[in-house]
Amino acid sequence: MALTNLWTGSDKYICDPELAQAFHMARVLGMPLLIEGEPGTGKTELPIQFAKSEGAELFVYPVGSKSTVDQFVAKFDHVKYLRDSQVEVLNAQRIEKGLEPLSSGGRSTEQLDDYVNLGPAAKAFSTPNSVLLIDEIDKAPREFPNDLLFALSHRRFILPESGRVIEVSEEDMPTIVITSNREQELPTAFKGRCIYHFINFPEPDMMKTIVEKHYPKIDDELISKSISLFYQLRRLGLERAPATRELLHWLKYLQTFSKSEALKKLDTRDGLGVLIKNHIDMLKVKRSINTKPFYN
Amino acid sequence: MFQSLPSYFREHKLAADVRTIMLLRKAINKGLVRTTGDLYVTLRGLITTSPKEFGPFATAFYQYFLDIDIKKGESLDSAILRSETFQQWKLKKIKDLPEGEEPNIKELIDEFLNDVHLTSYDIDQFLKGEDILNNDDPNMADDPNGQDGDIPPLNRMADYENMSLEELLERMKKVAEQQKRQHRGGNHWIGQDGASPYGNRGGAKGGIRKGGSGGGKMARKVIGDKNFYPVDTKVTLKDDNIDVALSYLKGIEEESTEELLDIPVTIKEGVKQGGLFLPHIKEKIDQKVEVILLIDNGGWSMTPYIKNVTKLFSKMKRRFAHDLKTYYYHNTIYGGVYADAARSKFVTIKKFNQQSKNYSVFVIGDADMAPYELGDNSIRDWNLIKERFPRMAWMNPLEERFWAGSYTINVLKQVVPMFPLSPYGIEKAVQEMNRKKRFGKYS
Repeated sequence: MALTNLWTGSDKYICDPELAQAFHMARVLGMPLLIEGEPGTGKTELPIQFAKSEGAELFVYPVGSKSTVDQFVAKFDHVKYLRDSQVEVLNAQRIEKGLEPLSSGGRSTEQLDDYVNLGPAAKAFSTPNSVLLIDEIDKAPREFPNDLLFALSHRRFILPESGRVIEVSEEDMPTIVITSNREQELPTAFKGRCIYHFINFPEPDMMKTIVEKHYPKIDDELISKSISLFYQLRRLGLERAPATRELLHWLKYLQTFSKSEALKKLDTRDGLGVLIKNHIDMLKVKRSINTKPFYN
Repeated sequence: MFQSLPSYFREHKLAADVRTIMLLRKAINKGLVRTTGDLYVTLRGLITTSPKEFGPFATAFYQYFLDIDIKKGESLDSAILRSETFQQWKLKKIKDLPEGEEPNIKELIDEFLNDVHLTSYDIDQFLKGEDILNNDDPNMADDPNGQDGDIPPLNRMADYENMSLEELLERMKKVAEQQKRQHRGGNHWIGQDGASPYGNRGGAKGGIRKGGSGGGKMARKVIGDKNFYPVDTKVTLKDDNIDVALSYLKGIEEESTEELLDIPVTIKEGVKQGGLFLPHIKEKIDQKVEVILLIDNGGWSMTPYIKNVTKLFSKMKRRFAHDLKTYYYHNTIYGGVYADAARSKFVTIKKFNQQSKNYSVFVIGDADMAPYELGDNSIRDWNLIKERFPRMAWMNPLEERFWAGSYTINVLKQVVPMFPLSPYGIEKAVQEMNRKKRFGKYS
């Protein structure tokens, strides 16, 4: 049985109600969940933490600009195959001369399956109740999502050369989560086969809970002060607004100091480089948030 | 049931079809849809494909299921106030109020929205989190779908899940039928506490809901916020649709490498080795995106567009760092173009045409000038460039409906395929370019 219970997060991950519902829906319907949202809002973390807390096996496929369906599903190792067939010829000659035959590592050229290297998708589809993460699909060449259409709607992969079919029933369908940063528009046909969810940026209250989950021992004053500054920065309309990830990094840095020191650093806006990652933004921030009150 | 749903949502330019209904049915059968809030979330997941569709989706949803018709530019609150659904809901609500107390309209709408967007997820939460349901509410027994009051709440929730599904489907069917007849079936959802036996109570007792009120708040945010409406792709390039335009430009061609078996070398080497074929691998490198921009930067007619054009292409420059070349001209070309914006470094057509045929050439200009400016020589120059670069498109910032009025535009249009400088036009131009065949690396 697939993992179709409602999952509302774990002690390391807060899943906001709408996301939890969309995720639940995707698993019940046996469809992939496509998550979009600002960078650093925990898109990739969702399946990772889910797999961890459910004890499911996780398969990850990080998509890059050179990704192909071969790498994702399965690849036929032509080189090994060629080598082995050459070895066969050679071995015939060697046996004739009374020499030991060379080994081909238990593979047989008759068995084409021996030369198929399974990719994360094929592995996930043959492991019941697993979790498959396709990370940043928007980085892929345009054909990639289109090539997945058949597999997604029929829950079936056909392996290259050997023709073996990996099929999974709806009950055993792995939980598939796809993330995207919207760097390019995905084909409509592809999106139609997914449950779509857009992660909204968390409200300050929610953010506080998130931070507390990550750093349970953190000082309350430090949290509220840093969060208020953080949202102030986000309101400035920066080219690249800081996201949850940046805030967490920044707090990690601040926590290495004693409380009074950390608060002082907060006042002098020390270590803003963790939050602001663009030179023009930095200038803007320095202009709008004075590092020193003018009367000093 | 829900037969009219796709056509209804399609009117709002959303991609709903038969599959949507089938998936919705499946979701209902699997017990995913128990309240209007669930229905909202489920359908949104099935239908929308971008936050830009949340606005139209919310409008369509309110109209179809709740009979709340949000007019263009109207706020959600006033649309709700106008609606019959809300009036009915209010009548029921006010009955519960103590004698003489006047309801606060704003709060009522909030409550209404919370009721509409109450999802079974919220209910789960408060059942688990609060003991409130232990103090049983007498209202409970009156609920059409409710169970007897003495069963503990957790069981009751579970019972409900299994037992009343039939009833729920029946009810949804009724609503859908009514919808067709009189377009006000929606109030069934709300008037009778929707499909959820908890719907009324959950929202009504304010503060019980945990982490729930987001739905209503979000709905209000979505209506009228330009972030949740589609960008009009036919409008000339502006700040807010530059990113859309860019996503089409990215479609030009991607660079990718892959390992391939180099068959000629393998055979050659194999023969040399006396029949022992060792595989030789070569890297297959696909062509990269190579773009030439030819910008009309002279004359006041282009001034209004310069800022946005520059912005688009400065963003482009970041993407295609190595393979973007920019040239300039004034009105039309006479024997050559300029390599700098100040138009001091002249590049002859001959030199210009020595670049690889694989460049995609975008000409950006309004092509509108006095007829005498566009001489035969100039047209010949354009033809020379076009012959060299098959992948060439003219992006015109002037609105398409004005093109017919200009003699020079009509002439140049014959030489270079012309498209409006809008995200839609860029998409068309890129599609056109991609149809042209590619050449070897050194041609």
